[in-house]
Amino acid sequence: MRNKSLIAVSGFLLAAAAQLFAHHSFAAEFDANKRVTLKGTVTKVDWRNPHIYVYLNVKDERGGVTEWACEGGPPNVLLREGWTRNSVKEGDEVTIDGAVAKDGSKRCNSRSVNLADGRKVFAGSSEDSADGAGKKQ
Amino acid sequence: MRYFVVALLGVIPSSAWAQWLNYPVKGTPRGPDGKANLTAPTPRRPDGKPDMTGVWMGVTKYMINIAADMKEDEVPFQPAAAQEYQRRRANESKDDPSARCLPLSLPLKQTITSPFKLIDIPAKEEMVMLYEGARHREIFMDGRPLPKDPEPSWYGYSIGRWDGDDLVIDSNGFNGMGWLDINGHPTSEALRVSERYRRIDFGHMSLEITIDDPKMYTKPWKVKESPRLLPDTELLEAVCENNQDLEHMVGK
Repeated sequence: MRNKSLIAVSGFLLAAAAQLFAHHSFAAEFDANKRVTLKGTVTKVDWRNPHIYVYLNVKDERGGVTEWACEGGPPNVLLREGWTRNSVKEGDEVTIDGAVAKDGSKRCNSRSVNLADGRKVFAGSSEDSADGAGKKQ
Repeated sequence: MRYFVVALLGVIPSSAWAQWLNYPVKGTPRGPDGKANLTAPTPRRPDGKPDMTGVWMGVTKYMINIAADMKEDEVPFQPAAAQEYQRRRANESKDDPSARCLPLSLPLKQTITSPFKLIDIPAKEEMVMLYEGARHREIFMDGRPLPKDPEPSWYGYSIGRWDGDDLVIDSNGFNGMGWLDINGHPTSEALRVSERYRRIDFGHMSLEITIDDPKMYTKPWKVKESPRLLPDTELLEAVCENNQDLEHMVGK
């Protein structure tokens, strides 16, 4: 646990710890230059391979609701960093920063997932290329 | 704010997976604090050879580009292979077989940042490599030769031998469909891969990979990797069953 805290104190290390079993090329699907910050309510966490997905409903100014699907790391990488399928639950309010899908669909690749109380969860994206897996050790 | 985050992290419950992740593996040298001593001496088999057994993890940059430490013009591409590689780069590797949940090539199985477990079975003159998301490999140490006219396969055929303290594994019989890395360095059925592992200490290996594929490259070329031991962990299942990426991979 102490080591996880050490990772958390540094934004740089946090990004580095984000692993990427790169099941696929990030750039084939997502646009690194097209960022989005989504604030919404989690409707589902799909904790499956090759990538987990957090689904969330995002309200716009006019009261409309859009469902987004944001991709995260593979479950095993996240498990080794201490996260589980219960770290984020349906109904949680989250803020996700990510890169948007190139094909215009409401999908993002998560750079960070923050819970309403400030906790940062699921550090893991297929975008980063630093070696970070297993940093907990 | 940073400390605030740290304080909150402190209350997150530990993983319920403690018996598979974070279970103290027997035979692991430890410091006074109980943590694995990754720089302890190389463990040895009763016959004095290094015991290579352990859960090992590759380095990300070689998974993405196996030639990460080389200049692009140092990779001895055949002309058609250079063209194919450029084509794959130009569309951001959207045709990567692993993005379709197809098997990984050798050496990508070794360089991907999903661990492999090496188990040495001297009494059977065999080593086994297990993976989280892929079929195992058997490495026969009994002196048999590689097959002369192998049925092409994703995983190939592997034999091993000792060269001093180095474990040398030679493999052939690939189907040419695997990419050497996510970037897309190509292979053909003529591919032969040699892996030379040296366990430097308890927690570290050096791995020299030789790519010999005369249809794709004008001469054999080598890359150096440095797998590290993941202590007190075991492999976890990773079945590629919810692949939602494919239909969204547009490339450039």
